Amino acid sequence: MPFSIVAQIAVSGALMGLVYALVAYGFQLTYATSKSINFGQGELVMVSAFVSLSLIDLGLPYWAVVPLGLLFGALLGLAVERAAVRLALEQKSEGWILLTIITGLFLFSAAENVWGRDDRPFPTPIPSAPIHLLGVDVTGLEISVAVGVLAVMGLVELFKRRTLLGKAFEAVSADRDAGELMGISATRTVMLSYALSGGVAALAGILVSPITTVGPTMASAMILKAFSVAVVAGLESGFGVVVVGLFLGALEGLASLYIGSGWREAPGLALLILALAVRPTGVFGKAVIRKV
Amino acid sequence: MLIVTNLHAGYGLSEVLEGASLNVKAGTVVALIGANGAGKTTTMRAISGLITPTRGEVLLDGKPVQGLGAAKVARLGLAHSPEGRKVFAPLSAEDNLLLGAFPWLPRFFGFRKKAAPDLERVYGLFPKLAERRLQLAGTLSGGEQQMLAIGRALMARPKVMLLDEPSMGLAPVIVQEVFRTIERLKAEGMTMLLVEQFARAALEVADYAYVMERGRIAVEGTPAELSRDERVLAAYLG
Repeated sequence: MPFSIVAQIAVSGALMGLVYALVAYGFQLTYATSKSINFGQGELVMVSAFVSLSLIDLGLPYWAVVPLGLLFGALLGLAVERAAVRLALEQKSEGWILLTIITGLFLFSAAENVWGRDDRPFPTPIPSAPIHLLGVDVTGLEISVAVGVLAVMGLVELFKRRTLLGKAFEAVSADRDAGELMGISATRTVMLSYALSGGVAALAGILVSPITTVGPTMASAMILKAFSVAVVAGLESGFGVVVVGLFLGALEGLASLYIGSGWREAPGLALLILALAVRPTGVFGKAVIRKV
Repeated sequence: MLIVTNLHAGYGLSEVLEGASLNVKAGTVVALIGANGAGKTTTMRAISGLITPTRGEVLLDGKPVQGLGAAKVARLGLAHSPEGRKVFAPLSAEDNLLLGAFPWLPRFFGFRKKAAPDLERVYGLFPKLAERRLQLAGTLSGGEQQMLAIGRALMARPKVMLLDEPSMGLAPVIVQEVFRTIERLKAEGMTMLLVEQFARAALEVADYAYVMERGRIAVEGTPAELSRDERVLAAYLG
């Protein structure tokens, strides 16, 4: 097989892998503040994509729909926190696992009833014509995925490092009680993390929809792979999910090329099992240095 | 400034505090001493709201604050430097200090500039921290972490400071340094409630002291009075 085709498929796959990285980043955000993750995150991706599509149907321009879609995702994240997470965390229970799964199922059924079961195309002004770049063809849509993912993750990281509220976010992640003693409300910090996580999920939906179409099941495979990426990279490192996302995306492309398209989903699960067996803290998971 | 009346609190079904009462007047240092497990740390945690008291009242500057939760109590002017220091290990020393001032700093931009005078003051008090300001707090030595914890509490510009076991696990030289700092803060007029294992050192700096036994205040008085009390002498100052 000519190398150019292999490179082409690896690059396209890697760019799609950035979407997994973005969703995995959403897992990291809530895990940092509350040690909880939303197992219905895929439904947040899907419902936000549907809502954005409906806004486009209403005649709003794409560039107005993007921020509105993100806002909707953030609100939905807040709703999940309120409905499924907060009470469980207050009672120091693991009930959020089941409750977030249930919230996801509820959103799934609601989406099927409101928007139907069919996959629908997502119109976008971003050109899908390929651009020749360093020997491979990259479409405008793929570039928009890369730019969107990296820009938003960069912004969130800047927020965490450069603003006092962001440092407070890190403080609560490091030591919830000590954060409270500084006057930082842990509850509000957890809410903030769920809002950010919801916004990030919505962005993933908006970025990927023009490529994959919008449907109730659009995120069910994606979420598994995002979960793999989060576990393989470790639940702490934003840089880690990007690297692992790119890697897994490329691997999926190559698996479907060499083994067959039915094997596309296999590398994600294989990596997940491998990581859990060999390095459960994740490749980029770090033990905090602490002197006592 | 801080009046605690008949405070009951515990963990789950086990009650640790069974009606503790104490009074910390403005500008004074009050020591809370007692054996391990007497309920000193639980008293601190119940005052600052880290645990919710089941009964009793905590008045901070005349306002009842029990049951408000730690974050609100902190914003009302109570700074609690907890047992075991609890610095934010993955953040730099300076970020730890800035977070101490969270209640009164702007949330997004310009907070560094606004905090500069207070940072100066803390660095003046602890020159070591100035040297290590960009180092991650988790990599500081125990003594440095303790100074950071006290500095972080000071950054809040608190009305009352609670210091829980500031000497714990530190070398004797560093313990002396910690007590010198407490004396200096006292001279500046800071109101403090101090929990200490080193009863003798605590009584030297305190204006008034309470001795806890099994969740209650057993004896109270000025350090001079307590030093004459035979039971206290035998149990804590022996």
